[in-house]
Amino acid sequence: MTLVVVGVSHRTAPLDVREALAFPRERLQEALARARGEAGLTEAMILSTCNRVEVYGRAAEGAPAEAVARFLEAFHGRASGTLGSYMYAVSGEAAVRHAFRVAASLDSMVIGEPQILGQVKEAYEVAEAAKSLGPSLGALRNRCLSAAKRARSETRIGENAVSVSSVAVELARKIFGSLKDRAVLLVGAGKMSELSARHLVNGGARATVLGGRTFQKAEELAATLGGQAAPFEALQDELAKADVVISSTGASRAVIRREDVAAAVRSRRRPLFLIDIAVPRDIEPGVRDLANVFLYDLDDMKAVAEANLRERRKEAAAAEAIVEAEVRAFLEWQKSLDVAPLVADLRQRAEAIRRAEVERARQRLGPLNPDQEAALDAATTAIVNKLLHPPTAHLKEVAKNGRASEVVELVRRLFGL
Amino acid sequence: MSSRVYLLLTLAFYAVGALSVLLQAVARRRLLTPWTVTAALAGFAMHTASLSQRWTEAGHFPVVGFHDGASFLAWATVLAFLATYVQTRVDALGLAVYPTAFVLVLLAALTPVSDREDPVLRSLYLPIHTTLALIGYGALFVAFAMGVMYLIQERELRARAPRAFYYLAPSLERCDTLGGRSVEVGFVFLTLAILTGLMWNLSRGAVWTGTPKEWSALAAWVIYVAMLVARRRSGWGGRRAALLGIAGFVIVVFTFFSLSLARGMGGAA
Repeated sequence: MTLVVVGVSHRTAPLDVREALAFPRERLQEALARARGEAGLTEAMILSTCNRVEVYGRAAEGAPAEAVARFLEAFHGRASGTLGSYMYAVSGEAAVRHAFRVAASLDSMVIGEPQILGQVKEAYEVAEAAKSLGPSLGALRNRCLSAAKRARSETRIGENAVSVSSVAVELARKIFGSLKDRAVLLVGAGKMSELSARHLVNGGARATVLGGRTFQKAEELAATLGGQAAPFEALQDELAKADVVISSTGASRAVIRREDVAAAVRSRRRPLFLIDIAVPRDIEPGVRDLANVFLYDLDDMKAVAEANLRERRKEAAAAEAIVEAEVRAFLEWQKSLDVAPLVADLRQRAEAIRRAEVERARQRLGPLNPDQEAALDAATTAIVNKLLHPPTAHLKEVAKNGRASEVVELVRRLFGL
Repeated sequence: MSSRVYLLLTLAFYAVGALSVLLQAVARRRLLTPWTVTAALAGFAMHTASLSQRWTEAGHFPVVGFHDGASFLAWATVLAFLATYVQTRVDALGLAVYPTAFVLVLLAALTPVSDREDPVLRSLYLPIHTTLALIGYGALFVAFAMGVMYLIQERELRARAPRAFYYLAPSLERCDTLGGRSVEVGFVFLTLAILTGLMWNLSRGAVWTGTPKEWSALAAWVIYVAMLVARRRSGWGGRRAALLGIAGFVIVVFTFFSLSLARGMGGAA
């Protein structure tokens, strides 16, 4: 009755294998039912994201890892054993630790990424709805989600942007503090500049899109960003008004020259943050010498993202320590649910009473022959065994269902243990 | 307990705070932990007890001589930090305040107390003038620290190479506004301190005696006036405001120590 985790992740399997084993949302209910049937699980949960596909399960007895692996292949129409080399299986304590680390984003491709916590939460919800969540996985869910939240709030593992578009926002916040009512100027409309602009607009900034030959494209982008479009000829005026400029034209030469920027900052005190994500570059690098001007090109943004990732890795050690402490606490708690020590105590107690009473009876009865001795022993032992059999069996039963915590304390009190 | 015992306890608490905040900064963890906050509050309580005990022992307001001056300045700095932190939650300030408070209290602990007896010390102007000045210094220290943070972080941002301050300091805009607000508060206290100082002078004869302390206080005051006017009238801030905030504070520090130098550790504040 141990926990197992079987699956593939970005660590063990290439994308095409992960895709092949992924579970579409609408088939999860069916998959959970089949996992229980085919792999002999009493409880099951399936976590399926683009970076990992994992089955979390608990079986009444034995180690069902092999059966779960076969189920994964069979469900996706693969021949048995063909994808086994990509899979990993952990059980018991290692499985608990794995569950905690995954939820805390310590096993993620980008350490500290925030999506995994939501994905884990959702996976448990689906399993709960499919009635395949029992007391064992239910307890694991509560503890690993709260451990993940602790790791996130007590360390900086989730801080600092690690993608280019979010680095743009982080830098803007580092320079301007709040983004509320900051003016963002988009020169050219590329996918990445749109993404960065959207982050900025979500933070409260207003967007203006400059369009050239394809003015309609600029108008469309402006509409989706809730901003306005302007012709490219207005560059000089718009530069003077802007706080953040994101440039991504396909032009072969620089479109924003040093003197344009110099003129734009001459008459103001606010800083100007220029982001050049075009290759070849749109903004003359000489702009960097101007006071109060911050210019970042694509390589600069990547360098910041990498530096941030290094910061996160440093924090990961602290997060690992928190998670490990939570894993230990969980395992301790699980152990307390074990009924074996209680059963032993119960038996020991009964045996002690039996021996004491036999001794007293013997003193009153005087000397007995060996047959009588044996009969006295057999009779008292039978009484003890018959009395203790139903409670022992019941304890083992509730332990199997993971509800021992409700009973263990009561039994101890009833028998004065 | 004597003021000296309280002061040594204060030193111990500030040492814990300073060490903890520096270690956290090196490890890039959250700067203020329950440890540092407790150390600051306990240290501040001990410090207050030390000053009040010293007041009883000296028989006059405890701001005379280097020992008193350094200790009281540290107290005002921590007070300004706590007040700022409660309002803004800018923990990076702890990085400047804890080590400064520790060094000042250490210097105080290493210097003997002044046993100067002078009827002028019994004047009511002594506690009023010095308290105003020291609270002003505390606020101006905050402005100084924010200015330093602004400049270093701006350099990191312009060099496109995030380092310690990128991860530890608040945004440039926040450094700037917080520095500006601290100057406003500090300026009010500095002005009142100068006025009460002049009135104290007057009570003893001449308003202006031409000491270096008076001149440097005036110079600092002029710098801060210029800064505040420029900020109000044209939103002037950023790099130049940070530089001026630093320059102003350097002069303030000179003002603070000039009297002790001129009179051979005669009076500090």
